[in-house]
Amino acid sequence: MIAAHWLSAAEASRAFAARTLSPVELWTALLARIEGLQPKLHAFIRLDADAAISAARTAEHEITAGRSRGPLHGIPIGLKDIIDVAGLPTTCHSKILLDNVAKADAAVTSKLRAAGAVITGKLATHEFAIGGPSFDLPFPPARNPWNPQHHPGGSSSGSGAGVAAGLFPVALGSDTGGSVRNPASACGIVGLKPTYGLVSRRGVFPLSYTLDHVGPLARTVEDCALLLDAIVGHDPADPGSTPTHARDFTHDLHRGVRDLRIGFIRHFHETDMPAHPEMTAALEDAARVLQSEGAEVRTMHLPTLNEFAGVNRVILTSEAWSIHAPWLRERPGDYGQLARRRLMPGAFIPAGDYVGAQRRRAQMIAAVEDAFRDVDVLLCASSMDPASRIYDAAETARTYSRQARTPFNVTGHPALAMMAGLSRDGLPLSVQFVGRYFQDATVLRVAAAYERATDWRKRHPPIG
Amino acid sequence: MDDQLVAALAKAAGLEKALADYPEDVKAAAAQAMNTAAAIQYPTDPTAEPWPPMRPGLGR
Repeated sequence: MIAAHWLSAAEASRAFAARTLSPVELWTALLARIEGLQPKLHAFIRLDADAAISAARTAEHEITAGRSRGPLHGIPIGLKDIIDVAGLPTTCHSKILLDNVAKADAAVTSKLRAAGAVITGKLATHEFAIGGPSFDLPFPPARNPWNPQHHPGGSSSGSGAGVAAGLFPVALGSDTGGSVRNPASACGIVGLKPTYGLVSRRGVFPLSYTLDHVGPLARTVEDCALLLDAIVGHDPADPGSTPTHARDFTHDLHRGVRDLRIGFIRHFHETDMPAHPEMTAALEDAARVLQSEGAEVRTMHLPTLNEFAGVNRVILTSEAWSIHAPWLRERPGDYGQLARRRLMPGAFIPAGDYVGAQRRRAQMIAAVEDAFRDVDVLLCASSMDPASRIYDAAETARTYSRQARTPFNVTGHPALAMMAGLSRDGLPLSVQFVGRYFQDATVLRVAAAYERATDWRKRHPPIG
Repeated sequence: MDDQLVAALAKAAGLEKALADYPEDVKAAAAQAMNTAAAIQYPTDPTAEPWPPMRPGLGR
């Protein structure tokens, strides 16, 4: 018998249907766990227990009456605190927006409510999804459940920590330079940055308009797919939203990888940013696993990580400066130091460099599209190192940029990070899969095959 | 980038308060801007257009 807090959303939904568990019973069990672990993990900025029990009761009533809305009905979910929930503050983990009560739900929040999900509250983030981990903010940073002395990754820190610790089975985060996939990597779960334009960003506080994505975090690939099913859809109110027929992301999960061609971007972790040896071994093992499952794996090349990162940073800081300039001019002391340092560079980047970065971006997109003429999916590193110690600012600064996630914010391709092992110190190792535009289902298909062929999803943090 | 130039650019950007209260943060931000821009091989082909392209539309 699996403890309620380790049930996936899909398993809980099946238990609801079989009447062996109810939404109220699940939420009650999770609430007790949250109350026990929140002082150690700080995943929540704001727990909305009253609204959650009310939603769980409604879900229970509807499911019992035979009016199930689908697999997320009655499932508890956490939202990164840059995503609007009507009536609750969206603080972005910052003193700047402590009193910023959302007037309306974000598009994704509305979709989750329509699917019957139980919104549990607002989760810790790096300040404005960029400045962290920080100890000079109104709320403490989230901790890694595998070892609370370590960083859970960011910026969707509470989303990663809470899912990994069994506080809720699924969460939403945002990803501008890797902020869904970083906590997924650090916390040993699954995080998907969907194709740019697939999920509406309306009601999500922006960091960088042309790089921002909203995406799911979960303990299983199936849950990631179910959550993506619930939140996709064209939204004319989001200028980046794209009309698409991409739907039913669970459909291909059981197809396996036989005959798929996978391009392994080895230079990312071998020469561009040489990875920790245990991470390198995990990546090579992931390639071997997929080969043994029937995929053809070949080595491929893309532009260097250093250049992808430069393009990402010039665009991100320029766009973020256009958002934050008024507050940085008038209230610089109300930011934490890391956010202040990471948001101000946009003041020093000439307009020509921003346009130049966007021009180079078009060439980088073409390079990745060229790669997808020869393969179906790319495999590469996500993080180059296991999670840093959270109090070691120097180590965190050194390792934070050692990652291969920003390329796919620059290009907008769907990219998923998931657990691929444990280090000798008991910290998660990770792998990343990347797909063609709007073929998020193929990325999930490869991830599901890898998940089935390994036992990493059965590992849980030693946190009780 | 020397300190005087950083100060002049910061003032031009309206960051007088930050410059007065957090001069080290302003210097660090300027240094980061220089380093990231230097990593890019900017296109030399004048016809290479930026992403995303301009598209006719209604705007908001």
